[in-house]
Amino acid sequence: MIKASNISHFYGAEQVLYNLSFEIKEGGFVFLSGESGSGKSTLLSILSTLLKPSSGELLIDEVSIDKIKNIDSFRQNRIGFVFQFHYLINYLSVYENIALAALEEKKQNINKILEELGILEFSSRYPNEISGGQRQRVAVARALVNEPKIIFADEPTGSLDSKNSTIVYELLREAVKNGTTVVVASHDMQIESYATQIIRLKDGQIL
Amino acid sequence: MIALKALSKNPFKSLLIFSSITIAVMAIFLISSVSQGVIGMYSKMIKTDGDIIITQKGISDTFFSNVDISLLEKIDKLEHVTSSYAMIVGASPIGHIPIAGIYGTTANHFSHYKLSSGKYPKEGEVILGANLAKQFATVGVNIGNKRFRISGVYSSDIGFEEGGVVMNIEDAGVLFNRSASFILVSSDSPNKIDNIVKKISGMDSAIEVKTTKNFVKEYNQFKIIENSSFVISTLAFAMGLMGIASVMSMIVNSRKEEFGIMRALGKSRFFIIKNLFFETLIMSLSAYLFALVLSLGILAMLPHIEMLQGYVNGTLSLSTALYVLASTLFMALLGSLIPAWIASKTDPILLINQGCA
Repeated sequence: MIKASNISHFYGAEQVLYNLSFEIKEGGFVFLSGESGSGKSTLLSILSTLLKPSSGELLIDEVSIDKIKNIDSFRQNRIGFVFQFHYLINYLSVYENIALAALEEKKQNINKILEELGILEFSSRYPNEISGGQRQRVAVARALVNEPKIIFADEPTGSLDSKNSTIVYELLREAVKNGTTVVVASHDMQIESYATQIIRLKDGQIL
Repeated sequence: MIALKALSKNPFKSLLIFSSITIAVMAIFLISSVSQGVIGMYSKMIKTDGDIIITQKGISDTFFSNVDISLLEKIDKLEHVTSSYAMIVGASPIGHIPIAGIYGTTANHFSHYKLSSGKYPKEGEVILGANLAKQFATVGVNIGNKRFRISGVYSSDIGFEEGGVVMNIEDAGVLFNRSASFILVSSDSPNKIDNIVKKISGMDSAIEVKTTKNFVKEYNQFKIIENSSFVISTLAFAMGLMGIASVMSMIVNSRKEEFGIMRALGKSRFFIIKNLFFETLIMSLSAYLFALVLSLGILAMLPHIEMLQGYVNGTLSLSTALYVLASTLFMALLGSLIPAWIASKTDPILLINQGCA
């Protein structure tokens, strides 16, 4: 499903990724592990098309990312994101945040997803009116709304307590059961128990 | 919809932009309106009271002009001349007022000043403009080193005349040591005006004769006021517009994280630019309209502020209003859309990280 070939990346003169090559199979729960500064967030950003690599090639479903004409539409149709700090838009309500990401034909799913994640009652509230755990569930709902083929999550439980962390992991595992590929970058080793594939990084290289 | 939400959920930022645009637009309106108003009042006074104006040759300002009043007799005899009058314009302290306009005129021009009380002045008498009259409860006023009896109070459509004094041209001639500042001539035949100008020009080599339209166009004082106001209002305008552009630019830069999130969610550059366009449009238009209403309110109040004696007046032309509107929208959009366009081309994760920084 995802094939990375010789991916390298520089921030200015500093190289953070070194010729990484690997494959991710469809329907897997992939764990990108490594310590802070190992390059896992940069790699996740590249895999999720949010960052162009300095060199190397990335194929998703055998199509080179460089050859995709409308990358925005590609992201909206096929990729979901969960960020560490949820990154909800503060002037939009919970419902509107999810609707912003939703394809037109998927908007009817919003209330169903909110109900499944136990946050339907907060749908008209704004991000600053709900707890951190609830905000992260909204972020997961936003990632799920278009039923994407792949979900990328960068430290999705980094700002959550263990109870809320488990809820988020269970939600992601549920997505995998429904056929979605989930790639999670985290230094939280709890996720290993969910993973079907682990990519360990150290100093920008795969161990 | 999103544009309105963004504005209403960020009231401080919205207020900041709104206030910046309002103040900039008001500064532009008031500076240009007041200078237009001053020119408008004086040119109206000259244009409405005659077709031809006679001043001293080579004099840049009617305040320094001295024309022989005896010309009136010869001018009145010319064919197609319906009326003529002479006037002395000057300025002097009046009582406790440090400076006020003094209009000495021939008696046939008194009717221009509408009496609200009393009678037109005889020798040694004056009538006071309505604004000035509020400052005097006495029966007489000192002008120069002479005391004049107040014979009445007048009103005028021309603001600064209401802050002045009207007297006989003979009395004014003694005060300012001249015969007349200028002579205005009216004709019943617009086609013959050029011919009359030629005939009057031949009467005295020391005079300059022009149609009032040409005079207003060429009058040095108007040029000075126009040029000064153009420079000041252009600077105010430029500063205001740069302020608008930089505030919009700062606001857009502070929202990089939001744009990064939108791009990560698959929203196109066009979507981001479109929403920002509407946000800017709503904000600029509402601030512009607010500034317009405030400026019109202030301009309407100016002639009634006693301290200003009616000297400061404003006229806001439609062309100025439209020009300011177009410039405001252009600069606001420029200030917001250029950084937004640059941001929209950046990798989403970099925008998110820059927003966090």
